[in-house]
Amino acid sequence: MSTYNMVKQEFIKKWITTLHMLDCSVEHPLNVTERKNAIKLSSDIAMAAARSGSTVWSRALISRSGNKTANKPVARRILKKARNRLKNRCLTLRRNGNFTAKSGVRKRTELLKSLVPGGELIKNKDYLIRETLDYIVYLRAQVDVMRTVAAVDSVTGNLTNDNK
Amino acid sequence: MSNRRSRQSSSASRISDDQMIDLVGKLRQFLPEIRERRRPEKVSASKVLQETCNYIRKLHREVDNLSDRLSQLLDSVDEDSPEAAVISSLLM
Repeated sequence: MSTYNMVKQEFIKKWITTLHMLDCSVEHPLNVTERKNAIKLSSDIAMAAARSGSTVWSRALISRSGNKTANKPVARRILKKARNRLKNRCLTLRRNGNFTAKSGVRKRTELLKSLVPGGELIKNKDYLIRETLDYIVYLRAQVDVMRTVAAVDSVTGNLTNDNK
Repeated sequence: MSNRRSRQSSSASRISDDQMIDLVGKLRQFLPEIRERRRPEKVSASKVLQETCNYIRKLHREVDNLSDRLSQLLDSVDEDSPEAAVISSLLM
């Protein structure tokens, strides 16, 4: 099995867990907007949790998601578990030097830093590039899985509606 | 851009050609615009970064749209629902 398929598998496992836990913590039926936010939040947490390594982006994403789950004790438990797992790994961000570059490169590098979670914390350009590549792989896996689920669900949705 | 090779003075403070070739090689599988170029070593750092940013923004938009769609399709996220069973068998 390819590495990319393993990434997707890991994401699926984590996503089902996070969806289920968020769903259990809800008392009242959610409106569409609340449901969308829950799906997106659980998906982001799952993507970061699936990355069982010491990347900046996954830790930044988890702490960013923490701000959105103030009212959901179950979600906070998931985040605490993920944060503890990541906290134990050593990671030195202190490297030598900023890099100066032509204005076009610098401007676009700043843009890239704003797009990758935690990117603004990374000073070393090699590190930023490695984080970006890693982040892109997991982002693609997230999109591929969600797209497949949406395709499956639009088919089975029709089937279950017929049975009601 | 052709001057870049002759300016090796402070290579620690610029993205070197080797690093750029390495980066382009890795990104090529993700970025169709760069894949179609015949001479990748001529792609500028600025262009690569721009394409990368565009790609990440595109993926973010897709996640947002898919979350929208899924919130409308999924009534509940019950683990025992037929959807979950189908998804599990297809994707695992």
